[in-house]
Amino acid sequence: MRTATTLIWILALLPAGLALITLWDTQWQSPTAVLAALGRLAGVGGLGFLLVAAALSSRVPGFDRAFGGLTKLWQTHHRLAALSFLLLLLHPVLLAFAGAGQLGGNPATAAVTVLFPSWDYWEVWAGWGALLTMMVFLAPSFSFFGQPNYQRWKFLHRLAGLAILLALAHAFPLARALPHPWDYVIWITLTVLAVAAVAYRWLFSRAYLSGIVSGAGGRFPYRVIRKEKITPDVVEISFAPEKEPLRYQAGQFVYLTPYDKALKSGHGEEHPYTISSSPEEPEMRIAIKDLGDASRAIQSIDIGSHVRVEGPYGAFFRSDYDEDSELWIAGGIGITPFLGRARFMRETMGEVDVCLIYCVQDASRALFAQELADIARDLTGFSLHQHYFREQGPLTLEFLQGHCPKIAARAAYVCGPPPLIALSRKLLGKAGVPKNRIRTEEFNLL
Amino acid sequence: MKKLCYSVFVAFWSSVATMLALHALAAEQGAKPAAGAEVKVYTLAEVRQHSKVDDCWMAIEGNVYDVTAYVDKHPTPPSVLQPWCGSEATEGMRTKGYGNDHSPAAWEKLEEFRIGKLAQ
Repeated sequence: MRTATTLIWILALLPAGLALITLWDTQWQSPTAVLAALGRLAGVGGLGFLLVAAALSSRVPGFDRAFGGLTKLWQTHHRLAALSFLLLLLHPVLLAFAGAGQLGGNPATAAVTVLFPSWDYWEVWAGWGALLTMMVFLAPSFSFFGQPNYQRWKFLHRLAGLAILLALAHAFPLARALPHPWDYVIWITLTVLAVAAVAYRWLFSRAYLSGIVSGAGGRFPYRVIRKEKITPDVVEISFAPEKEPLRYQAGQFVYLTPYDKALKSGHGEEHPYTISSSPEEPEMRIAIKDLGDASRAIQSIDIGSHVRVEGPYGAFFRSDYDEDSELWIAGGIGITPFLGRARFMRETMGEVDVCLIYCVQDASRALFAQELADIARDLTGFSLHQHYFREQGPLTLEFLQGHCPKIAARAAYVCGPPPLIALSRKLLGKAGVPKNRIRTEEFNLL
Repeated sequence: MKKLCYSVFVAFWSSVATMLALHALAAEQGAKPAAGAEVKVYTLAEVRQHSKVDDCWMAIEGNVYDVTAYVDKHPTPPSVLQPWCGSEATEGMRTKGYGNDHSPAAWEKLEEFRIGKLAQ
């Protein structure tokens, strides 16, 4: 695990850890006391995870590299949020059970009194508000009711702010698991982190666009200058900067917002796409496959249309490996980061040691096949091997070893659909590539 | 993770529904105390007569409570409650003796033991 990710987990576990220390001596004498202590721990832990997940919710260009890219950062965000949700679901149930033991009388009535006190106890109802809001905004994230629609998911996810406000309104008056004033110190610190992250999204990254601040990251206006149809469902669009150009590395991605009212879908909506051009090129190119409403509509975007580009994000290609030799495994449209790096290598390097295994259904689905073959011909040490799974079945260890020498000594990069990534990890493990030298990028940001 | 979240989400509502159902059944069976009865007023001197753990009244925020039946069920030992028996115990209820208020549920529970108001 990377240092930044470890630090985030320590921060998220801090409130629950401190609460455990204070609850440890006094609270474990009876089943009721154990339930009450666990209920409080669940509440404290859940709020800690929720606030740290919120602090990670902002896409600060460059910040994600410390975590191994935005996809990895969001995996951490997702895990924190899921744990928070689980703990916060347990929190009222455990406290209700504890109340059933503590208050005497009919246990069910006591439990219901804990869960639904009179309206005077607004702080308890604020907790209910927070939990119900979480259910609403997390339902699409966890696909509770089928695959979510991206725009609806994004819209509902803004309710996270309301859930956090209600959760804090619940926790501040009722907080007693942490020793005072440490409870205030911890909750205020985590809240400030979360607010800072959201404030960045709303204020600072907008300031980039209006030109108040200039720098290496943020939002950049571009214009569509060319479109090239690669296959019937893939287009590569070239963009020219309207002000200063975005500086990026090969294999990074951006959020692209097209402003073309003629588009059937996606006008003014942002979607993530990988940059397919070399950072050395004056124009930026992005290859887009028709995978949804917006990516289908953008295939017919008008030349001259304005777009907004936000980024760059991702850290697919690492520069801190000792190994100079690389193995690339691409599946379908997952070729785009490799294409960007291959173009960059052709422009800037005389000799490389790269094996590219390109997996597609059949020869007609291979994207940029001619250009990749040209690069393989021109660039010493760059070899291209197509794998057609309709004829050859799934990728095998024999195929890898038969086409790429000394696999165990290489740094491996995999980009493609999740099943190919899972299979590649298995095969690379068998081939002797250590886990920390396998880098993967999934096109699945939800 | 998604499946686990969904399972716990369903389990949560099942638990809450079960508690509500049992509560409704209990309410159906137990006779409610008659409402609207005249509120009795006690002086602090009268409260002071009941200062033992087996006969324990407390004055809390202007009301008088006979908590004798609850002393044994209270999470802390009776010796902790004993000093508050027969006295103005708002501070004990609000601070538990170390600055932490009782929970909303505990305050609601207390109402079951109210016997009247404290004379001003």
